[in-house]
Amino acid sequence: MSFIIETRDLRKKYGKFDAVNGLSLEVPAGSIYGFVGPNGAGKTTTMRMLTTLTRPSSGEAWVAGHSVQAEPRAVRRAIGYMPDEFGVYDDMRVWEYLDFFAACYDIPEINRKKLIDDLLELVDLTHRRDDMVDKLSRGMKQRLSLARTLAHDPAVLILDEPASGLDPRARVEIRELLVELAKMGKTIFFSSHILADVSEICTHIGIIEGGKMVAQGSMQEMRAQLMPHREIMVTVRDDDSAQKVAGLVSGIAGVIHAVVIEPKAGRSRVRIDFTGDDDGVAAVNTVISTGGVAILGFTEETKDLEAMFMRVTKGIVT
Amino acid sequence: MSAEASLPSAAGIEEAVSPREARLERAALILRRGAVANGILSGVVLLLAILGGIGLVPGLFGSLRPLLWAQAGGGDDAAVAAVILLTQVNLSLLLVMMVGIQARETWALAGVWLLAAANGAALALLGFTPALLTLVFALWAGLTISRDVRAFRMNPVMLKELRGRMRGMRAFVVLTVYLGLMSGFTVLLYLTVAATSRTLGSAAGEVGRLLFSGVVGIELMLIVFIAPAFTAGAITGERERLTYDLLKTTLLPSPSFVIGKLESALGYVLLLLLAAIPLQSIAFLFGGVTETELLLSFVILTVTAIALGAVGIFFSAIMERTLSASIRSYMVTLAATFGVPLVLSVVLGILSSAIRTKPAVLEAAFVYLNDLLTSMNPIATAINTQQLLINRQVIGFWTDTLVSTGATIPRVSPWITFTIIYLVAATVLVVLSVQRMRKSEG
Repeated sequence: MSFIIETRDLRKKYGKFDAVNGLSLEVPAGSIYGFVGPNGAGKTTTMRMLTTLTRPSSGEAWVAGHSVQAEPRAVRRAIGYMPDEFGVYDDMRVWEYLDFFAACYDIPEINRKKLIDDLLELVDLTHRRDDMVDKLSRGMKQRLSLARTLAHDPAVLILDEPASGLDPRARVEIRELLVELAKMGKTIFFSSHILADVSEICTHIGIIEGGKMVAQGSMQEMRAQLMPHREIMVTVRDDDSAQKVAGLVSGIAGVIHAVVIEPKAGRSRVRIDFTGDDDGVAAVNTVISTGGVAILGFTEETKDLEAMFMRVTKGIVT
Repeated sequence: MSAEASLPSAAGIEEAVSPREARLERAALILRRGAVANGILSGVVLLLAILGGIGLVPGLFGSLRPLLWAQAGGGDDAAVAAVILLTQVNLSLLLVMMVGIQARETWALAGVWLLAAANGAALALLGFTPALLTLVFALWAGLTISRDVRAFRMNPVMLKELRGRMRGMRAFVVLTVYLGLMSGFTVLLYLTVAATSRTLGSAAGEVGRLLFSGVVGIELMLIVFIAPAFTAGAITGERERLTYDLLKTTLLPSPSFVIGKLESALGYVLLLLLAAIPLQSIAFLFGGVTETELLLSFVILTVTAIALGAVGIFFSAIMERTLSASIRSYMVTLAATFGVPLVLSVVLGILSSAIRTKPAVLEAAFVYLNDLLTSMNPIATAINTQQLLINRQVIGFWTDTLVSTGATIPRVSPWITFTIIYLVAATVLVVLSVQRMRKSEG
């Protein structure tokens, strides 16, 4: 597998403080890579090194096959970067803003008008084309900024906290946009401390803490690695039914144990810890329903990132 | 740190991501070499001239002259002095074109060929041998980028800045207020002069000259204050607005950024200067002022604006905040243009009067040092240039007679030396700002 972003033992020292401490990162081409970690873990520093804004103290990093230290301009041509906090020029119109950055990427003037129209359409800002940038809402500015990162058709987008500070609706819009961009073949490397964002759209995640990578891989790998078994939650009407369910399933191969847990909203629940594939889950369902218990709910609890995150990080915020 | 030195960005040459960029960088390097070659030539001739002037090598000027500029008019020493200055003019123009090419400015593309043509003409028509140097380097650079005409374009930073600056009412209100104040000042000046000189008819030329000098003086003061203010926020402002990182991750070459900021600031200053030309021209009604003076005053004003704008840019590049960049710019501007020349000329004056009987060499040295100090200050330059023009009808070179021995020495109108010093300083500051921008933080 080819990695479009790769770092080897990357380090950044500020005085005695190690902001990034031997980070090794591998981002496959075409993936949506969620870079997760608590505040102060070194996410932004890593991204600044990948975007050639900060020089690493030691170690190496490559983006799209170019070393960030030896070929910074080649790297810049391959990336679109959106920093955590960024300013927009307040005395410009929306189209002028994009026109300026397109010109900075040496895009000839004759191609720019069409490019700007396409970009505005992509981020759904066509109707604000002639408005001043500072009249846009924060979510719109974020989308405009995303359009800016796409001006030179880069292979990789490096987005630092793209959804931070947005209202829920704007956050969903950004998320959808990222998925759409991934479909266009772009690799998206973004950081977040909002785990829900990451788990919903990412194909890969990396968890960083104290400047070190604690875990990384595809979502499936991460789930398998961190959560060795699946959890099935069965909701029934009363406690007797619950006991019965626990009894029924405990014999099935792959079931580690089934416990009746405290009722929620007046309904009894059974949690089944299970190792097995989807056929196994279906089999469990069949056993219960043929056992004559009225089931109100049968759901597999997707072990969310929150749980993974809590399990891996030790809560050391450096 | 040693690893950093080998990096392309630290070496002063931008990493090229396309063959076109590589050619542009090569052309810039060629022009830099041309500038260095001119500098060496100029230095060597200057050294020889000093040796010849002191009298260590008799007949040196006579033997240098056929080698350097056989067809020049005037004395041997004047020809040598002209060679020193003209090679320095070439040096400064080559440096300007170097930065221009790095920034992909259209004017640089034309400038390189014009420079080659001018030097070709100087060589062919005037027999100015040192022109060969610049001709070769400019032609070489011009041919290197002959296929890359499309790389040269309107500077995006300049376009962005001017769009912002000229939008809305502000720019026009400022211009109107400025013209109103200037007009008021001119009227006031006229009334004062008219009141003091009773016979207006005979002294009309005097009045015209005074009005002209007054307007130019005010404009000069204005530029000293406005030019650094316009550029001191160029880079710090982007940092403060958190837009600097966005720009740094684009492919915009650092020279483009610096030149673009400088151009947009100068564009506005130039607008103010042009708008005031009708006011200066009122002087024509009274007479006593020629087009030459108008033109020279415009050159001095523009060169001052360029150099002080470059000072602002430089401090903007090395400081974190706009405020501290502005303060440093003003301090350095005042020290370099007023403080140091003033102190030195006072020291020089005291020394000059202390040594009663000076040998000719010493007197000549004092004269040249004084000229140099004059050329460091735009106001002194403007006054002296005008004096020379009025009293001796001199625009460029002239011959002065020493008091001590009656020997003659070649001298030059200060606006020429001033232009060279200020343009070279501006280019050096721009190059330093660019290098500072290229350095990654931390």
